[in-house]
Amino acid sequence: MADKQTIKIEVLRYNPEKDSEPHFQTFEVPFTHDTSVLQGLQYIKDHLDGSLTFRWSCRMAICGSCGKMVNGIPQLSCHTFLRDYYPGKVRVEPLTHFPILRDLAIDQTDFFNNKLPSIKPYVLPREEKPLSAGAYVQTPEQFHKYYQYSQCINCLLCYAACPQYGLNPKFTGPGALALLHRYNADSRDRGWRERAELTNSEAGVWGCTLVGYCSVVCPKDVDPAHAINQNKVNSTLDYFGVLKFLMPRGGA
Amino acid sequence: MQSVQADIVVVGGGGAGLRAAIAAAESDPRLRIALLSKVVPMRSHTVAAEGGSAGVIRTDDSLDSHFDDTVGGGDWLCDQDVVEYFVAHCTEEMTQLDHWGCPWSRKDDGHVNVRFFGGMKVQRTWFAADKSGFHMLHTLFQISHKYASIKRYDEFFCADVIVEDGRVQGVVAIEIATGEFFLFECKAVIICTGGAGRVYGQNTNAGIVTGDGMGIAFRHGVPLRDMEFMQWHPTALPGTGILITEGCRGEGAILTNKDGYRYLQDYGLGPPDPWPRPKAMELGPRDRLSQAFWHEEQKGRTVATPQGQVVWLDLRHLGAAKIHERLPLITEVAKTFAGVDPVTVPIPVRPAVHYTMGGISCNGQAETPLKGLYAAGECSSVGIHGANRLGSNSLAEIVVFGKVAGERAAQYVKAVPAGRSEAARKQADAVQARLLDLLGREKGERLASIRDEMHEAMETGVGIFRKADGMQEACARLASLRERYQRGLKLDDRNRAFNTEWLTAIELGFTLEIAEVIAQSALHRKESRGAHTRLDEFKERDDANYLKHTLAHRVADGPPRIEYAPVTITKSPPRTRVYGGEGKEVVLI
Amino acid sequence: MAQVKTYIRSMRGWWWRDPYFVRYMMREGTSVFVAIYAIVLLVGLLRLTQGEAAFNAWREALASPVSIVFHWILLLTVGYHAYTWWKVAPKTAPDIRIGGRALPPMVITAGGWLATIGTSVLIYVIVRWM
Repeated sequence: MADKQTIKIEVLRYNPEKDSEPHFQTFEVPFTHDTSVLQGLQYIKDHLDGSLTFRWSCRMAICGSCGKMVNGIPQLSCHTFLRDYYPGKVRVEPLTHFPILRDLAIDQTDFFNNKLPSIKPYVLPREEKPLSAGAYVQTPEQFHKYYQYSQCINCLLCYAACPQYGLNPKFTGPGALALLHRYNADSRDRGWRERAELTNSEAGVWGCTLVGYCSVVCPKDVDPAHAINQNKVNSTLDYFGVLKFLMPRGGA
Repeated sequence: MQSVQADIVVVGGGGAGLRAAIAAAESDPRLRIALLSKVVPMRSHTVAAEGGSAGVIRTDDSLDSHFDDTVGGGDWLCDQDVVEYFVAHCTEEMTQLDHWGCPWSRKDDGHVNVRFFGGMKVQRTWFAADKSGFHMLHTLFQISHKYASIKRYDEFFCADVIVEDGRVQGVVAIEIATGEFFLFECKAVIICTGGAGRVYGQNTNAGIVTGDGMGIAFRHGVPLRDMEFMQWHPTALPGTGILITEGCRGEGAILTNKDGYRYLQDYGLGPPDPWPRPKAMELGPRDRLSQAFWHEEQKGRTVATPQGQVVWLDLRHLGAAKIHERLPLITEVAKTFAGVDPVTVPIPVRPAVHYTMGGISCNGQAETPLKGLYAAGECSSVGIHGANRLGSNSLAEIVVFGKVAGERAAQYVKAVPAGRSEAARKQADAVQARLLDLLGREKGERLASIRDEMHEAMETGVGIFRKADGMQEACARLASLRERYQRGLKLDDRNRAFNTEWLTAIELGFTLEIAEVIAQSALHRKESRGAHTRLDEFKERDDANYLKHTLAHRVADGPPRIEYAPVTITKSPPRTRVYGGEGKEVVLI
Repeated sequence: MAQVKTYIRSMRGWWWRDPYFVRYMMREGTSVFVAIYAIVLLVGLLRLTQGEAAFNAWREALASPVSIVFHWILLLTVGYHAYTWWKVAPKTAPDIRIGGRALPPMVITAGGWLATIGTSVLIYVIVRWM
């Protein structure tokens, strides 16, 4: 058996039934050229310590489950590779700005139960259209106005990157606000007015100070910073009662 | 144990589960619908589906054509009445998704675009770039927020179903964050838990695709149907098994061996030109393509890589613009996980287990033989895929039959009286005791060793090509693994709160039973059909003896009992399955 | 639902944890200097309304060595402010597409830098030769 290279993975552990505080634990893990951080964690769980707890599913950066802090930066652990840290240590922690449930698993309920529903994440149709009328017509130009923002996989890396969310949990946050813009910008939707109260508030776009780190860490190039900040202009125009002239029929 | 009252419980928050919940809610807004999922819904494996979803819209297409392609693709093991219903309802579901906001890819004039897919004569696959499942799932999940009657229980692991008086009366679930057990008292349960690809080692599936719902139904006497038909997707990355969509080939990509030769022409799928051409060469059905790879490997014409033997999926001739517009996800995946840019270099691919054609036996109304239990999506065997599924029929299936299940369950609960709480509670307590016992074992094997041996047995004995002795050995090994599992696993993790090792152990129990069902079903089918192909004396299709469904019934502490049921034939009498052949080149938009 | 004892990590020292945040705070910090400079100029405006003597006194104060040093600091900080301002400006613009492609953000940023430098040079020339 060839001698495999090994690397040190330092993980933050926290057991709510036993610990009052989290603490680090280090494991030595064998790896090859294409071993991801996630596979490193799986090796620990399979062979070294079955109690190491972390979320994962698709392993191909589309489900959004496996977000972790890797050496202090929010990453998807399935497409972050151990080779890029060797011979240094890899420090894996749960996403910042979220309460820790256990080990590397965070409490995500604020996003899923509060923030996401609050933006009305569904098409509020501009016109009532029966199914028999067929699909909407949507030109490439109309499509591109919102498509980028529909790529969000809800991985929450942007929330880990956003200090405003960390300092003020009432802030709706980058991911949800990008989705809000995605719907406002979709030609099938009329919803600006219905989402305006949230958009125009401190919990909405005005809670953002354009740190911009969210767009840097986003694995899908959604660019939530752009989604939020272009709406500061819209929000201002709305405040002065001018927006409705630029957005006929209530849409964007 | 905490108790929750509901009318309908949907288990599984993927495309089928969400569609079923929405359909039930629309059917009657007063119904209390509980949607349980062991992961937050957008993590469900629907999210990873790439290529697209079928629905007839072109004027040169017809329902009959979609029907013929599907029945032929399934090697005539499909229930044709159900296929007729299916093809007639695909387009309206795709349109419904559009109205709900799904970002279907469009032509320049703004109308929905459709692409070719394997085994289909006409373009009818609606697509959203190469993230169709992602967009469908997010659309369904987001629109589900509009329905106040759908109460979601995210990260609740469904451990069992309660059956009293011959009908379903509840669900026992574990709240993952705390490890607490919950009893959901209800009148109907819709199982939408997906496939069982994780029975195998090399697969395109997420870690959560462990066949939980199939296992639960199986343990309550519901037969699992046609389980021997497991689909190997011909183009997955070596090592990880990550999916490279059939949509690549729908856009014109080709497969070449180590000599740069388009080898599929040697396997009845040629001639190679003109290209592209429907139902020929790289647009043939998945079982044929995966089998061709196996033959090439035997002949030594595949390429060796550190992760195994591969062939090349060549997209270069499509051009950067088209690749980036239509196939952005696989571009990213190829660069990240295989280190290649498909614009300049072919992608290394090999077959990996992808889809479970079989599943929980149910009729065209999503009803299982157990009263009050419904099934929809990959976990079910509703009768449309037969021995081999055509690509893009699965994403369509989840919404067409998700809706059917939701509506049927909604009707059923209106007519049925409430269950007996006391009896349900007692059963639930028994489930809790059994599963807590699993947690507390002092001696036993490591989970990973049983899992790895199961993978090995399946890959060796019940692979793309099968032989009697190989399958027999697999059956024996799986029976022994079943016994070892019963004797006990020793878990490192003794916590109740968020104990994923414990949940993985419970999942492994289901997966082992399903593995045995697959192996036994395969052993008993003494013919070759679709994705079940044998290299021993049963190399040919045998309609006289085997034009029937396999039904596996659970036997306590023993291998499953295999029986057979007839296939419903309506419009399409069985013929030879033919692909390739002459034809005109199509202009792809 | 039962409650689990979650652990909430402190935000203390958040901004020096990551170089990105340090740069962010520096950027935000330059706003203070921009505000100070605005006040200096407003005072000058006020002195202008108070007559030639007052205005000349203000100009002399600005020519002192301390003031010169302070103004070099202001130039650097306000300059950094302008540099980072244009770097984030594209985020506030709507999605612009020209000829079927998204407008590269660098177009706005580079345009802004050039406009800033150009205007500064112009003002310098005007003031110098007045």
